[in-house]
Amino acid sequence: MSQYKIIFTGPVGAGKTTAIESISDVPPVKTDAAASDMTKNKKASTTVAMDYGIMNLAGGEKIHLYGTPGQERFDFMWDILTTGGIGLILLLDNTRADPFQDMKFFLDSFQSFIAKTNVAIGVTQMDLSDKPAINDYHVQLQGMGLNPPVFSVDARVKNDVSILVQSLLYSLDPELEE
Amino acid sequence: MNDKRKSSLKVALHCMDGRTYKTMVMYLQGPCKGAAAVVEDLDAEVDIIDADSINAKALLEQKLAENSSRPIIVLSLQELKLDNALYVRKPIKTVEMLEALSKAEALLAVKQKSNENVQTSKKLFINTDERKKTSKHQTAMHLDEGNFNAFIGSIPGLDVNDPKQFPNASYNPKEYFQGYFQSACLIAQTKKQVLHLNSGWKSLIIFPHNHEIWFDADDKQLRSFAGLPIKSLSGAGMSLTPASAHALSANRELDKFHNVDAFLWKLAVWSSRGRYPVALDIDRPVFLKHWPNFTRLIVTPHALRISALLIAGPRTLPDIAETLKIKPQYVFVFISAAHALGLVKQAKRQSDEIIQPPAIKKNTERQGLLTRILSKLRGNKS
Repeated sequence: MSQYKIIFTGPVGAGKTTAIESISDVPPVKTDAAASDMTKNKKASTTVAMDYGIMNLAGGEKIHLYGTPGQERFDFMWDILTTGGIGLILLLDNTRADPFQDMKFFLDSFQSFIAKTNVAIGVTQMDLSDKPAINDYHVQLQGMGLNPPVFSVDARVKNDVSILVQSLLYSLDPELEE
Repeated sequence: MNDKRKSSLKVALHCMDGRTYKTMVMYLQGPCKGAAAVVEDLDAEVDIIDADSINAKALLEQKLAENSSRPIIVLSLQELKLDNALYVRKPIKTVEMLEALSKAEALLAVKQKSNENVQTSKKLFINTDERKKTSKHQTAMHLDEGNFNAFIGSIPGLDVNDPKQFPNASYNPKEYFQGYFQSACLIAQTKKQVLHLNSGWKSLIIFPHNHEIWFDADDKQLRSFAGLPIKSLSGAGMSLTPASAHALSANRELDKFHNVDAFLWKLAVWSSRGRYPVALDIDRPVFLKHWPNFTRLIVTPHALRISALLIAGPRTLPDIAETLKIKPQYVFVFISAAHALGLVKQAKRQSDEIIQPPAIKKNTERQGLLTRILSKLRGNKS
């Protein structure tokens, strides 16, 4: 049986682990460790390898949900993770100093994967910092020649993560039936 | 650098792409002999900004406005004269960089001394009241075909799904509360002034700076009000006045703050009731500027599909319904809401009307898989 994947990426603390947990049918396999480096002021633990969850579909098919580690030193894993992926979910933390820079970094890093599939962007922590606004992200993206879905997302809320993933799927094929 | 300093100066790099960032990390470790080490922004003592990047100007202004205790080193090809920042000309010379780092360290020592007893928060971008504005951050409500008509109502004597009745299936937002609200927002935005929209019904205050309104009515009441033409209510009584000092200073309930876009989207859905805005010619293609922020809006039936299709290329409203095999009312209501937010425009280029919209590539095996994922996400039995 084929292996299908959806990849979740973004900087440290953007909510990748939580988002996978929100839609996975099994408790996600987490590879967190106590943060002992530059991430320590942001969260008690951080993902040092990857997160993994599963969505079980009819007929026994499984969709594998992979979360990339947020730290740049693990970027050698990203190519391996994306092989065979359906599409990319990019989560950005709006309380970080320069979320646009984060966005550009991840879009550049996954450029070839996005070109072959598609990307949907979720902006988290907007209830803590509502600037930049979603429209500001669109302005930046249009400057980069991109027009993907960009939504406010609370990674703990299944409905938010679900709409984000749905938008990715419809971007891949708008004629999919509901 | 100060020899007394035992550890490297902690610096954060800004406005650099991945490659430049890595190069700078190695440069500081190598040629600069570890005089500075790159850390996450929150842990940094000094900011280094590449002033030649697109976002640099805004970031630099922001950093200078914050007036934090962190010295700033600005790198640029052009000579810059900055009052509160150190400048290093590109291409960077090690001597100049070391000198700037040394000055930054000295500045840091002075500033830290004066701030000794001041506790500073490291997360600078948190607004503690924002989380309490629960209506703004509520997740989306989904409407499916089953509950659509009951939720938005219908127009007596009009079948908006009958192509022969399309010419009569439009509505003029200006005749509804939607139009008054849109005008009021535009005026508030232009004047940059907090305004009070007096409808003779409920109090509504527009805060243009935050793109917010304060409104004390539940959705059920608003739905009834939004669906009625204003002239049959109190059109003459609708007025716009500057918000009084009392209104501004009052300790308002934070859960009654709404995002302007989410509120306007709702109004348009209820004013439209399955019709399209009169300003649009349904025989000419329309385009979608960008995806609406669906997680904070009412998701009308097939809205995500319609968005994806329109992002791919301009289409006429009947063509959207035909391509997606859905009732025109679902297209009309989505278009009305997106048009109210300025996201839908009539395609003006001649080529948009001559060139056929892009054909959707069929891959039935993959379509089956994606449909099953969608079904799972939407909670259908699969």
